[in-house]
Order: sequence, then structure tokens, then C-alpha cells
Amino acid sequence: MFCLAVGEYENISLCGGIAVNSKQFLCLFTLAICLLLASGPAFAHHSTAEYDMTALTAVKGTVTQFEWSNPHAYIHIDAKDDKGSTVEWTAELASIGMLSRVNWKRDTVKPGDEITIYGNRAKNGKNLMRLDKIVFANGQELSAQVR
Amino acid sequence: MRNRWSRAIVAGAALIFVLPAIFAQTPNPFKGDSAPDLTGVWMIDHFQPALFPKGTTPPFTPWAEAQFKKANTLVNDPNLACLPHGIPRLMFVPLPMEIFQVPDKVLIYEEAGNQLRQIHMNRGHNKDLDPTYNGDSVGKWDGDTLVVDTIGFNDVTWLDHVGLPHSEALHVVERIRRVDHDTLVDDFTIEDPKAYTKPFTASQTYHLKPGWEIAEYVCDNNKYIYHEK
Repeated sequence: MFCLAVGEYENISLCGGIAVNSKQFLCLFTLAICLLLASGPAFAHHSTAEYDMTALTAVKGTVTQFEWSNPHAYIHIDAKDDKGSTVEWTAELASIGMLSRVNWKRDTVKPGDEITIYGNRAKNGKNLMRLDKIVFANGQELSAQVR
Repeated sequence: MRNRWSRAIVAGAALIFVLPAIFAQTPNPFKGDSAPDLTGVWMIDHFQPALFPKGTTPPFTPWAEAQFKKANTLVNDPNLACLPHGIPRLMFVPLPMEIFQVPDKVLIYEEAGNQLRQIHMNRGHNKDLDPTYNGDSVGKWDGDTLVVDTIGFNDVTWLDHVGLPHSEALHVVERIRRVDHDTLVDDFTIEDPKAYTKPFTASQTYHLKPGWEIAEYVCDNNKYIYHEK
């Protein structure tokens, strides 16, 4: 689990304006290095250039759709922004063949599920991320890394 | 009667010892008498999106340099439109491939697009080839190494995942060998006189994946990946 608590909508960024103590910074720094070193074949179809691979974003919300498809699967959730408005987020996953090899199934998440998605946000600022993992309401984690 | 039983026991015992040797020497009719065995499901050991790491300069011709400047992985990567990767990029894709050896061919069944790459073992290149995404591949054995020569490409694809261009003059030679039971290496020599002033090389290592099967892969949901358009 990460050092920072996950709120309804929280951006965990090394470059953001979040005040962290030295222990928290060390944790985040280690996390970022791990992400950078994780150069395994996580996503098949296109490069990761459009995503900020130096930071993880965490978003808690309700699943509205799970697209079990190629070249990528997608999870769509409704989340609340800091003003309480509903915003849609989309998480991009690997291909379904690779996901199947790491225990994902077409019904792993279902509309109505309360989950938190962790991933690398699109650099263009859209509510889109390259999924790293999900955490279910009961605290169970499931990695989306397929290396 | 006793002698007959004795002879039968001796013959049976001899057969038990000899049978494994007989089967061990029986050629696999689908692989060729003495061809090394490359069959199995293989997966790249690491993803290398760029054939030329940052800080190194490809030996571009002016034409290729101009093409490379136009390349945008978010907009005009042919793969975003679900087009085939082409050779050699197909061999760098982080999806598994299964190698089959059948009479006159080595077949590489790629999970990426479920493409079947044919390497023809007992013929040369056909003349007047129509340009295609994966070209025309012919192979021969050099000891334990499968040498694959491919020409006949169209110029639609990229050589790697960041936009290295090529022309229809692309010529790729691969040396594929099983360095140990669980490891396969493909060494590439890439030349294209219209795009590069000299040939260059690349290499990809694969690990054997026992128990894996190639999954269906139909690229039918790419509607989100043109984010920057």
C-alpha cells in the first residue's frame, strides 16, 4: 500500500504540491523508481509515451462499464472531483489474452462495484490512466501488470 | 519349451533396452530430420520500444530523417489503426508467439493480431513480389541457427515502436537460435539503402512459456487510443 491515504480523488505526484515528510518522500521516490524500472511487457499495443510514468494517480469510484476487448480492456468509473461533481475516468489495461494469464476475467469488475484505480495518468490531462492495479471495497488488490 | 521361453525373455529384455534408442533416433516427420527444435510458446524477455536508445543516432538518409520527424506515436503509428506491425517490429511485440515446424515451413503464430508468419524453408524468394506487411520470408539452417531472409515489404509499417521508418527496399536477416532449453535469441541485421546509410543490428531474447496458449486477439476496440487527435 502506498504511504499516502487514498481519498475520494487524490493525485499522488512526485512533482505536485502535496506536502510530504521525508519518510513519505522516500516511499514515493522508491515507488517511482520501481515504476521506471518496471519495463516489462506490460502493454502490448502502443507505447506508454502518452502517460506520465513518473507518478501514480489514485481514483475511487463506481464502475459503470468494463470493456473486455482488444487491443486493450477498459474500466470506466464514475468518481467525485474535489467539488463533489461526478467525473468519468477511464483506465486502460493490457490485452485480454495477457490479462487472462494474470487471473483477470471478463467479470472481474462489474458495473456498480466500488473500486479504486491506480495508474499513470495521461499527460494531456484527460481523465484517462494506464492501469497499474485496482483495489476493491474490501481492500483486496489486483495487479494489472502482465509482465 | 524352456529354450523358447528363454529366447523370448532375452528378446523382450533386449527390445526394452533398444526401443528408447530407436524412438530417440526417429525423426520428427513435422520438423525435418535433423532440424533443431524451436517449437513452443515464447515471450520476449523485455520490451524495447526503440531500436536506437536516446543519445544514439540512426544512420538516416535525409528521406528517412524527414519521415521520422513526422512519426507521432499518439497519432500516426500504423498499429493504432490495428494494421500489422510488420517485420522486424512484430518480433518485438510484448505478446507471446508459438513456433511450429512443419514440412517445408517454420510457422510463427503471433498473438498480436493472430498473425501467422510463414518462413519457407525449401525455396528462394519469389520474383516480382507484391509488397506486403510481413514480406516474403525464406529460411535455411546454419548449424543450430535458423537464418531467415525477408524482403518484399510495403512501406506502411515502422521498424520499432517509436517510428523508425523504412522503404520497400527493406531487407531483414534474422538468426534465430535456441541458446538453451528455455531461451531463444533472434539477432537481426536490417538494411534499407533508401532509409539508412548503412545496415544496423538488433537483438531480442525470448523465454519459453510452458503451459501458455496463444489467445484470440481481434483488434476491434481501438476507439480510445487516438487520444491526441
